[in-house]
Amino acid sequence: MKVSFNRRLLRIFAAELEKLATLPTIRFNLMAAFMLNLVLAAAFTSAGLQGAAGTQAILNTGLASMEYLQTGFIVLGVLSACSEYTGGQIRTTLTVMPWRGLLLSAKLLVLALVTVPAAFIIAGSGILYSFFMMKETAAGIEIGTVISSLTGATGYLTLTTLLSAAISIVLRRSTPAMVVLLSYYFIVSPLTMGILPGISHYFPDRAGYYMYTPFTFAEADALTALQGTGLSLSWTLMFISAAIGLYRRRDA
Amino acid sequence: MRAFLAELSKLFSLPGIWLACGIGAFAPAVIAVLDSIAQKEDIIAGVSTRLPEAGYIGLAVGVQGVIILGVLAVSSEYSTESSESGGGQQIASSLTVVSSRLHFLLAKAGAVTVISMLQCIIAITAVVPATYLILGEYTPLFEWPKLIGAVCYWTFTALLAFGITVITKNGIVPLAVLIMNSSFVSISFLLSKVTKLALYLPDRAGIDMFMSLSESILSPFTGALVMFAWVGVLFSAAIVVILKRDVAS
Repeated sequence: MKVSFNRRLLRIFAAELEKLATLPTIRFNLMAAFMLNLVLAAAFTSAGLQGAAGTQAILNTGLASMEYLQTGFIVLGVLSACSEYTGGQIRTTLTVMPWRGLLLSAKLLVLALVTVPAAFIIAGSGILYSFFMMKETAAGIEIGTVISSLTGATGYLTLTTLLSAAISIVLRRSTPAMVVLLSYYFIVSPLTMGILPGISHYFPDRAGYYMYTPFTFAEADALTALQGTGLSLSWTLMFISAAIGLYRRRDA
Repeated sequence: MRAFLAELSKLFSLPGIWLACGIGAFAPAVIAVLDSIAQKEDIIAGVSTRLPEAGYIGLAVGVQGVIILGVLAVSSEYSTESSESGGGQQIASSLTVVSSRLHFLLAKAGAVTVISMLQCIIAITAVVPATYLILGEYTPLFEWPKLIGAVCYWTFTALLAFGITVITKNGIVPLAVLIMNSSFVSISFLLSKVTKLALYLPDRAGIDMFMSLSESILSPFTGALVMFAWVGVLFSAAIVVILKRDVAS
């Protein structure tokens, strides 16, 4: 049966979307991330409320849990990429769809399409929670800043997910991928911030930090949101192209 | 005893365990060195508030090795093989050979305990000279009770990871939660700003065994007791779960 190229692309996307949507761990992971983020937002808000009244910023409190929330999205990237490699699913996948570069691009695109709304809802719920709890005590809040921060947060979480997925494709097993990513984000990166403050701005997570932190809250030598976006986008693209290159050449 | 030796040999044949051992041996020293470099100027000027922590911070943050060890020891039993080779789980064979589930669990926990103690001793022998190398005469004294506290902290952490993974069967969740919580931005640290009760969480109580932080309220000994109580509770839960659970499910 002859199928046109556009039809075929659509089918690849549909197949990848179905594979992603039918993974039970993905649903569980997203729900757990949502709940834990609300708990953390509550903790940060209550810690903020105990401080001097009127001095805290709602937006900062709402986004404070981002550092923990990114774990959920790292796990999302790892799970979606490594699920093909537990068991022999990857061989079935490559039998029905032998164009590997196109396949991986479609997979990552579908992952991004799923991540964007999830990240938006989860990050937004945190900001909304601290807004409702703090609106009496804290100073006013501009809707424009909220929107730009929320967009930045969504973008950052999506890029983090894609980066984790790319690294997991390279490593193929979930445990090493988790260990590498988590120890980078939680151990190596905070450490380098202390000793190499000049360079650490350009690392993917620090650059991403400026995507969602409003410029007025950041330190003096900070990057602008646009610079941060560009840097983390190029990090992610770099890892994705490395993953695609390797994926095309490697013995499955 | 034979079950214990078998568990040791199973653990050492897992590639992930060598990753864990590598991280466990080197990460604390690397963290201690980097933190000492960052703190050096303050310490020499005599204004550092964190002098007593220098070096120990590596042992507090570098526990990833034993976390991976504890998680992998259990999750490897439950990982399903590919459908091309039968789709079985190792635990079925393990329980066929050692039919007492309690013995199986205890032997495994024993193996994890021994390896994590060895890892911590190696880590300490790396951390102490590394800190001396950077800080020289300013290095705080490494006292035996504190170092023994660090060994206890590592062992208890490994057993906590072990117990949690027995309950969840899947390694990803405990790995993510425990590594994140042992890092510089730990959740229990955040919670301790909200409520003093969070100081009784296992990692906060465990750190009191060898570091005296400003906000801690437990003495090293009570810290050890609290963390041991956590290990006891989780381990009993793990025993109940593994005795009652259908292996095939």
